[in-house]
Amino acid sequence: MKRQRTAILAGIVATLGALAFVQASDAPQESTDTAAEPVAAAIDPLAQPIAFPHDIHAGQFGMDCQYCHFSAERSVDAGIPPVATCMGCHLVVQGSNNPEEVAKVRDYFQRQEAIPWVRIYKVSDHVRFPHMRHVAPDASGEPRVQCQECHGPVQEMPVIEAVNQPLSMGWCVQCHVDRGVSRDCTVCHY
Amino acid sequence: MSGGIKRRDFLRVVGASGAGATMFGCSTDNVEKLIPYVVPPEEITPGVATWYASVCGECSAGCGTWVRTREGRAVKIEGNPAHPISGGALCARGHSALQGLYNPDRLAGPMLRNGDGFEAVSWEDAEAQLAERLGAGGGNVLLVTGNAGGALGHLFDRFVEVAGGTRVEYEALSEAPLREAARLAFGRDVVPSYDFEAARFVVSFGADFLETWLSPTAYGRGFARTSAIDPMGSKGRFVFVAPRLSLTGQNADEWFPIQAGSEAAVALAMAAVIAGDGADAGPYGELLGSFDVAAAANASAISAEDIGDLARRFVAEGPGLALGPGVSGQHRGATGANLAVLVLNYVAGNVDRSVHVGQPDQAAASHPYASLESAIASMQARDVSVALVHGTNPAYSLPPAAGFADAFAAVPFKVSFASALDETAHLADLVLPDTHSLESWGDSHPRPGIHAVQQPVMRPVPLFDARSAGDVLLAAADALGQNLGAQDFQGYVRARWQEMGLAGSANFEDFWRDALRHGVVRSEVTADEAPLELLPPDPGVGFGTPALDGDQDGLALIVYPSSRFGDGRQANRSWMQELPDPVSKITWHSWVELHPATAERLGLREGDVVRVSSPHGQLELPVWPYAGVREDIAAIAMGAGHTSYGRFADGNGVNPMALLPAETEQPSGALVQLATRVTVEPTGEWRKLASIHGSGHTQEDRNIAPAIALADIGHAEEEHGQHELAELQEVGGFVPVSTGGEPADFPLPGARHGEYGDPENTPRWAMAIDLDKCTGCSACVTACQAENNVPTVGEEQLLMGRDIHWMRIENYFETVDASHAGPVDVRFTPMLCQHCGNAPCESVCPVFAAYHTPEGLNAQVYNRCVGTRYCANNCPYKVRVFNWFEYSDVPEPLNWQYNPDVTVRGEGIMEKCTFCVQRIREVQNRSVIEGQAIADGEIVPACQQSCPAEAIVFGNIRDPDSRVAQVTANERSYRVLDELINTQPAVTYQRKVTFHEPAAAGH
Repeated sequence: MKRQRTAILAGIVATLGALAFVQASDAPQESTDTAAEPVAAAIDPLAQPIAFPHDIHAGQFGMDCQYCHFSAERSVDAGIPPVATCMGCHLVVQGSNNPEEVAKVRDYFQRQEAIPWVRIYKVSDHVRFPHMRHVAPDASGEPRVQCQECHGPVQEMPVIEAVNQPLSMGWCVQCHVDRGVSRDCTVCHY
Repeated sequence: MSGGIKRRDFLRVVGASGAGATMFGCSTDNVEKLIPYVVPPEEITPGVATWYASVCGECSAGCGTWVRTREGRAVKIEGNPAHPISGGALCARGHSALQGLYNPDRLAGPMLRNGDGFEAVSWEDAEAQLAERLGAGGGNVLLVTGNAGGALGHLFDRFVEVAGGTRVEYEALSEAPLREAARLAFGRDVVPSYDFEAARFVVSFGADFLETWLSPTAYGRGFARTSAIDPMGSKGRFVFVAPRLSLTGQNADEWFPIQAGSEAAVALAMAAVIAGDGADAGPYGELLGSFDVAAAANASAISAEDIGDLARRFVAEGPGLALGPGVSGQHRGATGANLAVLVLNYVAGNVDRSVHVGQPDQAAASHPYASLESAIASMQARDVSVALVHGTNPAYSLPPAAGFADAFAAVPFKVSFASALDETAHLADLVLPDTHSLESWGDSHPRPGIHAVQQPVMRPVPLFDARSAGDVLLAAADALGQNLGAQDFQGYVRARWQEMGLAGSANFEDFWRDALRHGVVRSEVTADEAPLELLPPDPGVGFGTPALDGDQDGLALIVYPSSRFGDGRQANRSWMQELPDPVSKITWHSWVELHPATAERLGLREGDVVRVSSPHGQLELPVWPYAGVREDIAAIAMGAGHTSYGRFADGNGVNPMALLPAETEQPSGALVQLATRVTVEPTGEWRKLASIHGSGHTQEDRNIAPAIALADIGHAEEEHGQHELAELQEVGGFVPVSTGGEPADFPLPGARHGEYGDPENTPRWAMAIDLDKCTGCSACVTACQAENNVPTVGEEQLLMGRDIHWMRIENYFETVDASHAGPVDVRFTPMLCQHCGNAPCESVCPVFAAYHTPEGLNAQVYNRCVGTRYCANNCPYKVRVFNWFEYSDVPEPLNWQYNPDVTVRGEGIMEKCTFCVQRIREVQNRSVIEGQAIADGEIVPACQQSCPAEAIVFGNIRDPDSRVAQVTANERSYRVLDELINTQPAVTYQRKVTFHEPAAAGH
């Protein structure tokens, strides 16, 4: 029952447009009748396990996206950093802003446990999006597409969020039209 | 408009809310997690394939492989191009190893007998049990193994030494008679190796070298190279001398349908004719001088003139190559028959030229049944306290009369290393599941001077708590207080390689890493100083035609190894069950082959279920009338009819071993396979055969696979064989207007590609398939299945015509006549999507799911497809297949094999060959990133990659320098049905070349 209601709620939110892709922190709050499903109600399913601030890492410190998303230039997958990558710095860096969040990273590493990040971006299963084809530098040494063109100003985001783009086919194709590159179906669908 | 909502807006809202619910929905079920590595494995980049060199473990040929892994899972096996056996190709059974690795019927862990069943135990308990029993065994250990060469065989021998006992090697497909014959002929206990490329005239006395015999992939390549027409217009000849036309036989130019068991007579008669013409016969001069060719002709039912003619051409058109009877011809005189063929080779001067009876051969032990027979006797006599079985399944592969089950039951403690509960493991007290060959260490020495490491390509599948038998035996020896010199089997293999001194002066670590990377190491082979001399005949070996048991008016029973299941070990794999048999095109169940005249005499039609009875047992199975067997023959394939092996094997078909006696051939000790006559009687039942062949193996006047006579090469007349169409046109039927387009003429005039691409300045992908090379082996079918996530549908669905292979091999029996020696003409046509330039499927798709890409691909966009099936109905090639159900929903972990680069199709979707578009895109992406143009031959579809015959070429036909353009520019080239319906396919076939004048239009 609850799921139905919340799905409808999500639908309404989506139709409003502006909030189609809500921030994790603004996720629709569960209703208060916690008696029925207390656990589900208590946990925000969209909250990241660690409040990782992209604005500090990518913005303030100017770290290259590919320091962590290590395979974007050579793989279809951009790559989610192994916990060991975090520890490369956080072995010594305490974290002046959120030491308690850094402590969580260390705990995960201590337990040799993967951090279960919540997935924000996902193209449908029938779509092939090869990161490397878009991100790898062209002859001039510049990335063909800046990460921010799809993912938004990540370096300004305290909490990662899907920017106001629908990840829809029209959105992809528009860019392909603008850039004069192939619009053949089997470029992405096979 | 005002206030209204348009349909598209409505859909958008619904779509958006759907997406919202999926991506940000309020149930935790819908939230996807991204799970990174804690510490990344060095060799893995997510999304990028990692390749490992290893060795195929499916038969004893020892093909080198490259295994593609993604995120730590093996997803595809290919031949290692650097390996001299596989040469980059791989057979269908080799591909199916993945389904052995991810087989859902593998055991979850060790099992201990508990009453009639088993209970799961921990490895600690299981190994403790084993150690205790071995310790108490008092040296009466029996270790029965399959073909285990290299380090594992070495460890087995060391183990029985320290544990006290004996080791017996047994393989159902044994080369013992050939090996024994080599010993008798040349004093060398080896399996000879054959160089097809050095020969121009090949005679096979029933050896199925394209299917199962010795090294089918290597011999398939060698055969295609010698038998296909070369650029000089010359073509090697192949004559098949056997009572049954196997797939290998179907590739012959001539067939001598001899009496079963008369190979020795024919071979010696040929040798006698050649010797009579003055050739040196060494110590066989006297025997051949007095040989009665007329009697041989009588025994074989081939005229003396035909035999004499064959013998003289064998020398004159040589170099020749004669190949001994294979397993299906393993009768009571098998050693004599093999010896006779070696003598023929010697007399014809082929030894040291195309036949190499070389240096000690480490690989192929002969695994005769005789040694297992004596082991059965000692088990029966209760002389064995612990029996261990590894890599072989005698409870299934031996005739019941051998009494293995009863004898095995008499052993107090029986251990099986089977990874699934097969028939033998079912009788055991303790089952210690071995790891799969893709998860284990090992090595292989397939020929003198060739060495390869079998390295694990992934960690053992975590669902199955398996341990490598090598590790278990090392631990068991340790428990007996005998350290065998290594902590684990990996160390044991390394130590063996160190001992062998292959590294020479190089640092062993560097050498080892190099061996792992390249997958093959060569060592120097010392050549013979003097030519090989024939030894005098052994009076103990006869050359007569052997007697057969049973009703002498009955049919001689040929039991032949299946090219899909081998001796039965590949049976529990849905790919192999659903791979159409290369000869009959039947899937899933067994059949008995009878000559159509015999079937008619017995009043039998195709599909009539008959009772086949021998003095040793009886079976019931349907009839498939086949003109490729003599009228006095009944033939059944091995490998089916499992009772305990797994969900795909159990209950499918019958095991013909039930009809055979348990008898050894002397002196080789091999199990006699051609031993008995059978009677065939109808049961009154009928079943539809689960065959994919819709047309009874004929072309129905469609001229799909035309041929050209060798004599006509260079001045071929344009042949229009579509008589039926011509008749229709006369009465005002459909008249196609050909655009006259060449494959490179693309896009066709008037074709509209819209704004989505620039068809003028892109490649046109095209394929050329040389039907003179294609042997019909079907490796491409399974390769395609593995690469493209093509599911299997099961027997019931297949019977409804719902087979879903993207590639099939049609075989058309043009000339197959078992009544006398003469030409044979079977045409193989690999049929896949033709990627028509003018595709009938595209214009009927209501949702534009089928459309043409600017690169000339006939594309199928799955997410657009709504499943009307109009396209399949309009496809003249029947290459579009439909997912009637969720076929891709396979039991865990078979789905681990799925290629992550290819969409897994769901119910209601039409699918077909894509020319491996994922491989095209991969190379294109790489070329763009690296700024390098795509080289010709860089894009290799899975079918081309696996083809042992090198029959398939793929590339950009617009580039006149590309191989595909050059191969296509050939007078033998034609496009299937193009003249009939003007489809302008991108696939061009090159006609088969025959020595005889082919029938005009194909029937």
